[in-house]
Amino acid sequence: MNLDIIAQMAVSGALMGLVYALIAYGFQLTFATSKSINFGQGELVMLSAFFSLTLLDLGVPYWLMVPGGLMFGAAMGLVVERACVRLSLEQKSEGWILLTIIFGLLGFSAAENIWGRDDRPFPSPISADAMDFFGISITGLEISVAIGVFLVMGVIELFKRRTLMGKAFEAVSADRDAAELMGISATHTIMLSYGLSGMVAAMAGILISPITTVGPTMASALILKAFSVAVVAGLDSGFGVVVIGICLGALESLTSFYLGSGWREAPGLILLILALAVRPNGVFGKASIRKV
Amino acid sequence: MKKTLIATLLLGMFASPAFAGETIKIALTGPFSGGSAPMGTSMRDGAKLAITEINAAGGISVGAKKKKIEIIERDDEGKNERGALIGQELASMGDLSGVIGSVNTGVVLAGDKHLQEKGITKIITPAAGSASMTQWSKAGAKDLSIFRFAAHDGIQSSMVVEEAINQKFTKVAILHDATNYGASGHDDLVDQIKKQGNKLEIVATEKFNIGDKDMTAQLLSAKAKGAQAILIWGIGPEMAAVSNGMAKLGMKMPLIGGWTLSMSNYIDNAGKNGNGTLMPQTFIEEAITPKAKSFIEGYHKTYNVTRIPSPVSAAQGYDAVYIFAAAVKQAQSDDTHKIKTALEDLREPVKGVIGTWKHPFSKWDPANEQTHEAFRRTDAVMGKIQDGHVVFANEADRQRLIKNASK
Amino acid sequence: MLKRILLLRGTEIIALMLLASIPLTVNNSYVLGLLTLLTIYGILLIGLDVTVGYLGQVNLAQAAFLGLGAYAAALSVTVLGFGMMGALGVSMLIGLVLGGLLAFPALRLEGPQFALATLSFSALATTVLNEWDGLTGGAQGLSLNRPDFFGHAYDAPGFYWLCLIMLALVWMAMRNLLASQWGRAFEALRDSPIATDAMGVGTFRHKVAGFALGSSLGGLAGGLYAFNFQYLQPQSFTYDLMVILLLGVVLGGRKSLWGAFFGASLIVLLPNLLSNRLLFEIISAAGLLLAVAAGSRGWMKKTTRPFQALAPVVAMGLLVVGGFMVENTENWRKAIFALMLFSVVVGLPDGIMGFAARYLTRLFRIAPSTLPSASNLDDVLPLKQSDNGVLLELKDLKRYFGGVKAVDGICMTVRKGHVHGLIGPNGSGKSTAVNVISGLYAPTAGEVLLLGIALPTGSLFKVARAGVSRTFQNLQLFGELSALDNVMLAMKGAYRVPLPLVLLGLSKAEGHRAQADALALLELVGLKDQARVHAKDLTYGSQRFLEIARALARKPELLILDEPAAGLAHPDVSVLVSIIKTIRQRGITMILIEHHMDVVSELCDVVTVIDSGQVIAQGTADEVKRDPKVIKAYLGAAADEADATPVPA
Repeated sequence: MNLDIIAQMAVSGALMGLVYALIAYGFQLTFATSKSINFGQGELVMLSAFFSLTLLDLGVPYWLMVPGGLMFGAAMGLVVERACVRLSLEQKSEGWILLTIIFGLLGFSAAENIWGRDDRPFPSPISADAMDFFGISITGLEISVAIGVFLVMGVIELFKRRTLMGKAFEAVSADRDAAELMGISATHTIMLSYGLSGMVAAMAGILISPITTVGPTMASALILKAFSVAVVAGLDSGFGVVVIGICLGALESLTSFYLGSGWREAPGLILLILALAVRPNGVFGKASIRKV
Repeated sequence: MKKTLIATLLLGMFASPAFAGETIKIALTGPFSGGSAPMGTSMRDGAKLAITEINAAGGISVGAKKKKIEIIERDDEGKNERGALIGQELASMGDLSGVIGSVNTGVVLAGDKHLQEKGITKIITPAAGSASMTQWSKAGAKDLSIFRFAAHDGIQSSMVVEEAINQKFTKVAILHDATNYGASGHDDLVDQIKKQGNKLEIVATEKFNIGDKDMTAQLLSAKAKGAQAILIWGIGPEMAAVSNGMAKLGMKMPLIGGWTLSMSNYIDNAGKNGNGTLMPQTFIEEAITPKAKSFIEGYHKTYNVTRIPSPVSAAQGYDAVYIFAAAVKQAQSDDTHKIKTALEDLREPVKGVIGTWKHPFSKWDPANEQTHEAFRRTDAVMGKIQDGHVVFANEADRQRLIKNASK
Repeated sequence: MLKRILLLRGTEIIALMLLASIPLTVNNSYVLGLLTLLTIYGILLIGLDVTVGYLGQVNLAQAAFLGLGAYAAALSVTVLGFGMMGALGVSMLIGLVLGGLLAFPALRLEGPQFALATLSFSALATTVLNEWDGLTGGAQGLSLNRPDFFGHAYDAPGFYWLCLIMLALVWMAMRNLLASQWGRAFEALRDSPIATDAMGVGTFRHKVAGFALGSSLGGLAGGLYAFNFQYLQPQSFTYDLMVILLLGVVLGGRKSLWGAFFGASLIVLLPNLLSNRLLFEIISAAGLLLAVAAGSRGWMKKTTRPFQALAPVVAMGLLVVGGFMVENTENWRKAIFALMLFSVVVGLPDGIMGFAARYLTRLFRIAPSTLPSASNLDDVLPLKQSDNGVLLELKDLKRYFGGVKAVDGICMTVRKGHVHGLIGPNGSGKSTAVNVISGLYAPTAGEVLLLGIALPTGSLFKVARAGVSRTFQNLQLFGELSALDNVMLAMKGAYRVPLPLVLLGLSKAEGHRAQADALALLELVGLKDQARVHAKDLTYGSQRFLEIARALARKPELLILDEPAAGLAHPDVSVLVSIIKTIRQRGITMILIEHHMDVVSELCDVVTVIDSGQVIAQGTADEVKRDPKVIKAYLGAAADEADATPVPA
């Protein structure tokens, strides 16, 4: 088999994998502070992308649109936290799973009716032309995705380590009760995490839209993969998602090539069920001890 | 609670105004939401345009008076289950004159049997795979109330294969989506290649799922096996991803596929990478005839767009209504069975935007589905994408159609 | 009692009769189609409710089981030539087997991970159905003909009646099952899997059984689905459908057969309700009224949080306003469904039927069924003759957590009939030792012998079955179950009727016996009058006593009480002491971990003192209190220790 082809597929797959990783990272942010995730995160990606597209249509320049889109994502994240998550956390129930699914349903229907059911192109100043690296074609857009993913994750990780607010974030993640006793408001920190998670979702939307186009269903395929990545890597493992994301993306491409494209998703799904069975806390996750 | 609901529902159904005899009731069904919505809604809007025109002219003469057309709209969401329920609902209405619509083969397979059972006339348009008609010939139905007004897959695939052969290709790859539509398109292509003398070798067969955005693996497989052209069967955005992927991998081979390549969700999303893509068309959004001009302008104005999302669907929906109306007029009745008989033997030609329809259908013969198929090979032309628009791939076709219309 | 049966069963029979008679009066294939789908979804949602309602897990695989069941039935007809009943049997079996297989890995998971595992399973199932086109026809779909029923072809009403009969059978079987020990176990392991194991009920097998059962109903519904539509395609069974199903259960009301049925009606009828403008406006206005009424009542009585009262009003208000602004309500169907659901999930957590049931119970004054009179305590806990022999022996028991030696070589002997005190400063390893004995942790080294036989290690369930029962320092009650059910659940040796007979409703007699026995134990701890109260609503002291009663229901050789007096008010402590004395009189051996030295002194025959994971003293309470090593271990608190002032932990 031609080595070039394998390399090309691995690289293309891995680049998609980075997008899975970015969305999965959004899950981790909220899981760390609140042990909850937004099952409507895919719709958040999609809504932010549509919102950003509207900004562009209104004549807002691309580089101003980016912060606008991010703000929108953060705002939506806060809405999710307030409307769908906070109450169930206070009641210590798992109602948030249902409520965030409901949020997704509402967002999907709203987008269908506001922006239409059709996929639309998303203009980008970055070139979609392919460049050749040792026989592997990569487009400027793909490189921008990779840079964007690392940039966002890097900035947030720095924020968590270097700022006071970030340290509060880490404290609540480590031990919510202890942090509250130290005067850190868990509620505010959870809000922060949902805001950041929304922002990450928006960033994912802005980054991939030029490649995938914008439509109500744009994230439904992505989100399942992002779930897999987050769970296989472990919901509390930071950069573990990058490793798993890249692996899953490459694996998908290779399966598609060797087993037939219909089976593309299968290894990822089997891997997920197995990973959950063997290491319920994920490959990079920490095991917890049962206490009574 | 539940009982009140059912009671209200039953009440609602029986109390719905049934001014039998006052209007001609036509149901428009299709996917008005979900993935294939552009086709469904374009068809619906095209059909509504025709109905508005007919109603504005006072309606259709039935017996002594003119009757207007009343529309019953049902969204099947492209889901078989909904299709079955809508089929049952329409079948039980009693005073329905006919049904126009459908896109998804599965929906047709699930729903049409209820219509056929009651003998309700249906014109399938703008799409639905071969199985939608072959199911009746296989079952040996003696009498059939289902008609198809669409360039069936046989015509389309033969044109696609023909095109590939004409361009002197010998090795092709087939890419298709993993739905019913894509799978039956694949089968038709394979079938046609055999029929046309096995001049093409299929070096790779690859699938993609709805929502897939990265086609690298499929394309590389085609490339590695030396394909010279890609024959594709799918719907919209995924095919755009194929075009974009080909550009990325520097694959400069042509993409030839089903008519869905003319939908805006392919054209827009493929952008300049879509240039040169070929597909069979029954209607091209170009005002080459006065009738086409007024239709295109009417559509743009009524629905406030500058381009029809799926021109083929809109035009077929439009023409289907006129054909149906002609049958009503000929039958002098709004009875669906009489309309069916009239449709099988339309005496007067019907002028539509696609062309002039002379005796489009004939008496059903289970041995020959063509009896209930309106489109022939000559009704379709090859279209090409050029800078965001579908144009005639061969100037000869364009001239032929202009000539036909002026006759 | 009679009124209760009359009303509850009466409603069911009337509903069944009504549903069965519709085809006789209404000759309309559409109505019949809707009703048939309604019965199929009814079965499907009852199955889904087992996992979502009773097991309390968000299950996203039910749509996949519907599909798998449908394909199984279709293929057994087309390929194997089975009849209708055979095919339905196959589809149920497929659900049962695949459900069981999925349950094994998936049920180790909780919350979001479980949801994701089931989600992946459904995606995988659709992929396989789509790709295995040699068998399933792939994306082209699979057509089939409805097989005959013993040579007699079904017409539409006939098939509808078949579906209705199936629904009725499933309904009765589930009602019997859920009222039995199985139903209690399902709910128990939702509230506390640890206690479920510790009471010898077995978390795992009940979870697997529950999940497999729910899935088999999904399979059955799938079989009926296949024969109803006679055409199948893999993409009918995807995430989209699953979300709607899940929300149907929640909207109708979890843990309720009526709720599942109501949810099914909503799913089936919703598109029709929305296409009728007037009906939609009536429904949305009624919804708003209900939200305002329930919200303001909750606000006034301060039983709900402001958000809980306000959010549904906002959501329903949006629905009403939106209804006037939007041209085509059908386009917004999903959004409308979402808003209704949001209001229900936030405002009526029990779902519409749960809410209605509570209201109707009050309206018709339906009293709960009467309880039998309590059994004689001698029959429940027979007096044991103690021969002062060795009951439990710990041999050099060790348990390390990484570098921490929590238990570091404990040797201890507990004699029959004794109350054996286990004391030591905080962090000395008492609780770890007890957790190792009871099977929560596996020992790092050493042995535990009960009556000379090694106890199983590392499994609460097996240890419980071997005759060791325990209470928990941090309460592990089944909060959603009544006090009575808490005790009944743990009742040893009461349940012998095998599952098939339980489904037929033949376990009522043993249920009554268990109830009577449980009442006797509640009487022992003074909670007989509160037998019907939910455990979570009992006072703190009563909850502690309930845990003791529940542990006694295991009729244990050895009862471990882990700090039973922790946090108790003084009067409750004296009650506790008298309860423990009563238990000792019945000859039951106990290990008592306690900080209250006066309790220890009063009750314990022997006391073992542990510090840093090792035994530092052993003897009677007075002896150990004078032991210098003990005084040293407690140093700092030593001054208080001399007065034996109780120091609540």
